[in-house]
Amino acid sequence: MPLPEFDYIRPKSVEELVSILAKHGSEAKLMAGGTDLLVLMRDRLVRPRYVVDIKGIGELQGLSWDEGRGLTIGAAVTLNEIIASEVIRERFGALWSAASELADPTVRNRATLVGNICNASPAADTAPALLVHNAEVEAVSAKGSRKIPIEDFFKGVKRTALGPDEFVKAVHLPNPPDGAKSWYLKWKRTWGEDLALVGVAGLVANSGKWIVRVALSSVAPTPVLVAEIQNAFEGGGTLEEKIEKAAASIPGGICPITDVRCNAEYRTHVAAILTKRVLRKLLGLG
Amino acid sequence: MKKEIEFTINGKSRKLTVKPNELLLNVIREDLGLTGTKYGCGTGECGACTVLIDEEPVLSCLTLAITVDKKKVTTIEGIGTDENPHPLQQAFVETGAVQCGFCTPGMILSAKTLLDKNPNPTEDEIKRAIEGNLCRCTGYIKIIEAIKLASVRMGGRRK
Ligand SMILES: Cc1cc2nc3c(=O)[nH]c(=O)nc-3n(C[C@H](O)[C@H](O)[C@H](O)COP(=O)(O)OP(=O)(O)OC[C@H]3O[C@@H](n4cnc5c(N)ncnc54)[C@H](O)[C@@H]3O)c2cc1C
Ligand code: FES
Ligand code: FES
Repeated sequence: MPLPEFDYIRPKSVEELVSILAKHGSEAKLMAGGTDLLVLMRDRLVRPRYVVDIKGIGELQGLSWDEGRGLTIGAAVTLNEIIASEVIRERFGALWSAASELADPTVRNRATLVGNICNASPAADTAPALLVHNAEVEAVSAKGSRKIPIEDFFKGVKRTALGPDEFVKAVHLPNPPDGAKSWYLKWKRTWGEDLALVGVAGLVANSGKWIVRVALSSVAPTPVLVAEIQNAFEGGGTLEEKIEKAAASIPGGICPITDVRCNAEYRTHVAAILTKRVLRKLLGLG
Repeated sequence: MKKEIEFTINGKSRKLTVKPNELLLNVIREDLGLTGTKYGCGTGECGACTVLIDEEPVLSCLTLAITVDKKKVTTIEGIGTDENPHPLQQAFVETGAVQCGFCTPGMILSAKTLLDKNPNPTEDEIKRAIEGNLCRCTGYIKIIEAIKLASVRMGGRRK
């Protein structure tokens, strides 16, 4: 089926993009890789009057890291660029592994991290990684710029905290605590491309005090961070006991549904198992 | 609002007037008559519509034609001919990696991207590289064999 008609705008600067959205905000849709947007338009689920292609904006193409400021990923950076980054592989393992698990190499040539979170699917693979890494979303509009903690960014299925005239310029990830490790495990029906039945990101650090964070995709209307996990590591007990306690807190922190891909009970079961697996992996327990 | 775009298709420069909502896949098949590129699902799932844009594989069913202005597009017709096939095309034929042939152009372009970057891939790397290409009839074993054969012929060290 052909796409519905629209006007195509390709701004060259953030300034130009700001003014386009100030004028046409509610009738416009931004296009980064287009791998979500064009499918939704094809199915007539969204019908923008203007498609605003942001891939020509140089300011959105940067991927940078520094010891003080951490990691900054611009809105036009593709998932393949993320996978190619040594710094991300070494210090932000959950983001690296999530990007590597998203779709397939051809889709990842186009698809962006920012597109993945702005699409706000409960199954967004990169969202749990951003949650365990305490990411911040830099949103810009004619009124100025603001930083939205990733925990406040997702508002429901396909809904975000962004206003109609606002766009995401970049995502920032602070440097993780000393010695931290993180990873993402994705449970899917086939070895190749599939959306997550359940996805779990974990981050673990211990320099005197435990810092343990776990976030999940495909188990609630939005990607969720399960705060109780931290408590499981604060009391006494062996590491094995802490992991069991952490996994026991998962069902209370999620609210999965039954859909075409699997049922809710199965998701709850797998979520707890993947939580144990990711924690064991990060703690070197094999 | 129609717009004139100028781009290179399989080494030749072309000018075309396109509407914003036209997909690259339709332009390639209908306006340029290059029917090697296939329309499978139209939603990014099957890889049959894979083409190279500036040497990188992209799904033409999820690409607006208007965005290839000033770019270099390569389709399956651009990498070899009947008389002088690409080593991958030759290997697919010899190995029996083609049954109906619908997935073949996309498979070969994904495999070419792999071998151009990594001349001596492991079997796992081959499987990862064709993850986005569905074959519903040959099965993947022969396809993987063909890619291995081509990698040897193209100078990879595989035995
Ligand atoms: C075959 C296939 C397989 C897929 N598999 C997966 C998968 O395994 N896991 C997964 O999580 N996703 C998957 N996806 C979905 C999609 O590829 C990802 O969500 C991708 O990261 C989207 O990025 P994009 O740049 O293509 O976004 P686009 O399609 O360009 O944009 C997505 C949405 O975000 C908005 N947007 C984009 N950029 C901005 C911005 N800077 N500011 C504000 N809004 C913006 C757009 O208007 C649109 O609503 C798959 C898609 C396909 C077609
Ligand atoms: S037709 Fe493009 S991926 Fe199937
Ligand atoms: S040969 Fe028929 S789909 Fe692969």
